[in-house]
Amino acid sequence: MIFVTGPLFAGKQDYICAALGWTQEMFDAHGVRDVERLAEQAGDLPTLADALAAHEVVIATEIGGGVVPVDAGQREARERAGRLACQLAQRAEVVVRVCCGLPQVLKGKLP
Amino acid sequence: MFTLVVGGAASGKSAYAEDWSASLSSRWVYLATMYPWDAECVTRIQRHRRARAGRGFETVERYTDLAGLTIPEGTSVLLEDLGNLLSNELYAPGGAGADAALRGVEALLTRCEHLTVVTNEVFSGGADYGAETMEYLRALAHLNRVLARRADRLVEVLCGLPNVLKGGAI
Repeated sequence: MIFVTGPLFAGKQDYICAALGWTQEMFDAHGVRDVERLAEQAGDLPTLADALAAHEVVIATEIGGGVVPVDAGQREARERAGRLACQLAQRAEVVVRVCCGLPQVLKGKLP
Repeated sequence: MFTLVVGGAASGKSAYAEDWSASLSSRWVYLATMYPWDAECVTRIQRHRRARAGRGFETVERYTDLAGLTIPEGTSVLLEDLGNLLSNELYAPGGAGADAALRGVEALLTRCEHLTVVTNEVFSGGADYGAETMEYLRALAHLNRVLARRADRLVEVLCGLPNVLKGGAI
């Protein structure tokens, strides 16, 4: 599994599709994105991470870089998104951070 | 060796800082700065304590005035974290302002064999905050920049993985 992370609208999906030669249809079939939103509702993060890791590509938007939210629910959601990203990175063969559309490989080697 | 570790919420920065520090020396003072403001803080403190248990970190809780702390010469200190230290110096009882936070870290630098400081990436959520929060952000950003200049090693942690921005050859 390739895990792609980075800020909002950084070009994460465009980058990985171009790198792998994938069309949108191929991504829909073999990839999943916006998984940070799943962390909030998930009962158990390791179980969620295991299920997501069955995809070839998993994309998460980094949302933990702002001021700690005043709202307890938002704080918890942000923490869970961060922990899910750590668990996905552990399970991934390759981790890529995309910034302004450009990749930085943090783990492994792109195929 | 002075290492600055920066990361966002639940980025894995603490685990990385502990692993990195443990690789440098087997005995550390873990300087915990989180003020127990409420039950959530207490829970967080307990979770971090459990994660460190049995790893050679002797925990010292200190919220302000690190310069007044008696640390034996040659000790290795892991300070967690700078964001909390700054908010304590600004807002907690006994706090003496943003300069006191910097003076505290500088005092540690003069005495420690190794110093690892964990700090916070809290600057990517826009600037739609009140004046007090903006003042805090500006002060923390200033501390980060001053300490990064002095650091032997600067590591940004992303989803638990290190992105070495300075001192990678070491």
